Amino acid sequence: MEYWNKYTETLPREKLNKVEFGHFKNLFAFAKANSKLYQEKLKGIEPGDIKTYDDIKKVPFTYKEELRRWQENVDPFPYGGLLGIPIEQVSSFRQTSGTTGRPVYVPESYESWQWRIESWCHILWMAGFRPWHRLFLPFGYNVYVAFWEAHYAAEKLGCEVVPGGALDTKGRVNKIIELKANAMAGTPTYMLNIAQEAMAMGIDPKSFGMDRMIGAGEPLPEATRKRIEATYGCKMFDHIGSTETCGFAGMCEAQKGLHVVEPFFLVELLDRETLSKEVAVGEQGVIVITPLGRRSFPVLRFNTNDVAIKGPSECECGRTSLKLMEIVGRVDDIRKIRGVLFSPKTVEQLIRSEFPEIVEYEIVVTREDIMDNILLRIECDPKVAAAEAQEAGKRLAERHKIKTNLSCKVQVEPEGSLPRYDLKAKRFKDMRGDH
Amino acid sequence: MDEIRKEIKKIEKSAERIKALADGNNALLKNASIILTFVYLLKFCTPDE
Repeated sequence: MEYWNKYTETLPREKLNKVEFGHFKNLFAFAKANSKLYQEKLKGIEPGDIKTYDDIKKVPFTYKEELRRWQENVDPFPYGGLLGIPIEQVSSFRQTSGTTGRPVYVPESYESWQWRIESWCHILWMAGFRPWHRLFLPFGYNVYVAFWEAHYAAEKLGCEVVPGGALDTKGRVNKIIELKANAMAGTPTYMLNIAQEAMAMGIDPKSFGMDRMIGAGEPLPEATRKRIEATYGCKMFDHIGSTETCGFAGMCEAQKGLHVVEPFFLVELLDRETLSKEVAVGEQGVIVITPLGRRSFPVLRFNTNDVAIKGPSECECGRTSLKLMEIVGRVDDIRKIRGVLFSPKTVEQLIRSEFPEIVEYEIVVTREDIMDNILLRIECDPKVAAAEAQEAGKRLAERHKIKTNLSCKVQVEPEGSLPRYDLKAKRFKDMRGDH
Repeated sequence: MDEIRKEIKKIEKSAERIKALADGNNALLKNASIILTFVYLLKFCTPDE
């Protein structure tokens, strides 16, 4: 089994804890000395108070809302109190997508960017990306970080990177074929859109000759991952990360969960009720992350609000790092509809695993008087006859009721009427206003 | 790993020395700083457990 860094990737748990504790103490002292946010937040806790691994829990969580607040009307513009270095050392600007509110502006220095890239090299390498891959990036190069990391990390590990920005989907299909690209990184949604466009052009996506692909920018439910694999006839890998935390875990060739890139990151999986105890293998926990070497934007114990299932410590690949078996969802995305907890991910799983004829969908939740209503707008493959599409819609409503215990209305939409996304998809629209 | 860590320290010292000797030469200062960035990464890749 090949590793990007055999030494760190196979360190026993107790050694990983020791190394991460050392990094954490260094970052704590650095943040307290250099970040206005942490100078305020860590009043009353001194570096000397962090004496043991368990003392890490004395450090309060950092929340996204705080990051936003510390950038509003706080110098230096635009990074405010989050900046950990002199502003003249900032070498690139990134920002979050702003899906849940005002975007967070993220400063990267040359050092912090290279640190991020090194972490991503682990992710790509464990997914089997190698120097012989010609990697196509169907991505509008802009202020969002997702594929910049993939781009630079792939270059660093020796791949030939093809930037696929400023092309429409047809143009990207043509470029993949023209250059015989054999690997791709993109949002899972957009990979499916590319395949659909290729099929509309009379081209089977399997004929691209893709060897492997990796998703970024949005969650990748297992059913979607398998659909992409079946569509392209190649392996599809997942990873997880965010602008604030960097890419911090990836899938190895065994494709059973995501390995945290330790000791670059300290990842805690904490019980949802008290957020104080590490969960056991097989249990769900909230992901709390500390990127241990990024000094331009130091973040301690960032509470992501994402929930994951803790995996076993052993893996057939030999890596010893913490494993996340399944990203259950984002606490923010789980809504109460008619008194029942509802996760949009369930709908995606259902559609991608049981309805190959449905190519795009959208979930709209509205309220009439006191009644919540779910509308699933679906778009079928153009080759599917109208009557079959209506039948698929009927079956979907039945299966949705069984899976979620909630009834819904399904509306079949004309071809091309639902929005397509090449970055983070926004298929869940809760219009109730007070959710 | 100890031998490797020693070599990394040597690189660090050399890069610091280049910066000290650079006498304001931007190319030397910047490239020596870049070496130090990768020294930082090398230290992350070879932590003393």
